[in-house]
Amino acid sequence: MSFLTGFLGILGIISFISFFFLMRFRASSKQTDRSDRIKWSSYIPYRENSTKKTRKNENSSQDADFEN
Amino acid sequence: MSKHSALDTFGRSGNPLIRSDIFSRQTSSLHERMTLQGAVDKTGILLFLTVLTAALSWNIDSPMMGLISGLGALAAFISGIATFGFWFFFIGWIIKPRPHLAPKTAPIYALGMGFGIGIMSEQAEMMFPGIVIQAVSLTFFVAASLLFAYKSGVIKPNQNFLLIIFSATVGIFLTYIANLIFSAFTGTSFSFLTDNGAFGIGISLFVVAIAALNLVLDFDIIEQAHEQGAPKYIEWFGAMALVATLIWLYIEILRLLMKLRSR
Repeated sequence: MSFLTGFLGILGIISFISFFFLMRFRASSKQTDRSDRIKWSSYIPYRENSTKKTRKNENSSQDADFEN
Repeated sequence: MSKHSALDTFGRSGNPLIRSDIFSRQTSSLHERMTLQGAVDKTGILLFLTVLTAALSWNIDSPMMGLISGLGALAAFISGIATFGFWFFFIGWIIKPRPHLAPKTAPIYALGMGFGIGIMSEQAEMMFPGIVIQAVSLTFFVAASLLFAYKSGVIKPNQNFLLIIFSATVGIFLTYIANLIFSAFTGTSFSFLTDNGAFGIGISLFVVAIAALNLVLDFDIIEQAHEQGAPKYIEWFGAMALVATLIWLYIEILRLLMKLRSR
């Protein structure tokens, strides 16, 4: 194994650990508190939207009133 | 008369679609929100699956493995299209993205791509010993550096950033498709894609840069989905997007290193 391969191998292990360690944390407020962020929810349809509608209907719906 | 008098008169419905426990089950699933840790776990699982099948196709030297790898790559391609959708200029979405499929398609994608990159890596390693370790290491080095830059707010992706990276990615994808068709008819590839001269290396560097910047978009998808309390399956979707980009970045770094070492 050449010196370069060994060096890059160690660098790779450190990078791999750092990558998984960093991913667990939230981004800084400099990143999150911006007005020009990409609106991913308009590109990626969450199925939850339709579920929310169902839930809304469920809350507003009541048993039928046969009196009138 | 009470509004619930109808219940007294007709009793509760036996229709399974409107039984109350159905609603309560749905409501409880709403509380299952994605977490960053969940996305990390899923990324780890998908990378493990990729390495597993890559190791299989690397070590098992049989003509059948070539067929299995081809089928694996095809399954990965179909899974990718089914989950991320297919968009084309002027037409729009030909196949719409379906992120809710990700818990099923992401493992298929990872396993399938593993077979493909296993064979590719084995051939590269035979020609240039040590190149795979170098390519894997550089892939994670680039990913970790960009993740740090993203989390600290050094790189701030916005709508223009998305448009530039998306256009460049589609351009690269179309070039590869055109190269595939060209090579099917002529038996040779576009010289600028395989050339190890300054121009060919420049093209490779450009593709590596675009693949790397796609990682920033993946980080942003995961981060924003977590902030907005997206459903649990977005963990799989985000992890699948991240793994797909990492695999692409690895392949491009491998190609770049091969060009550099063949000079």
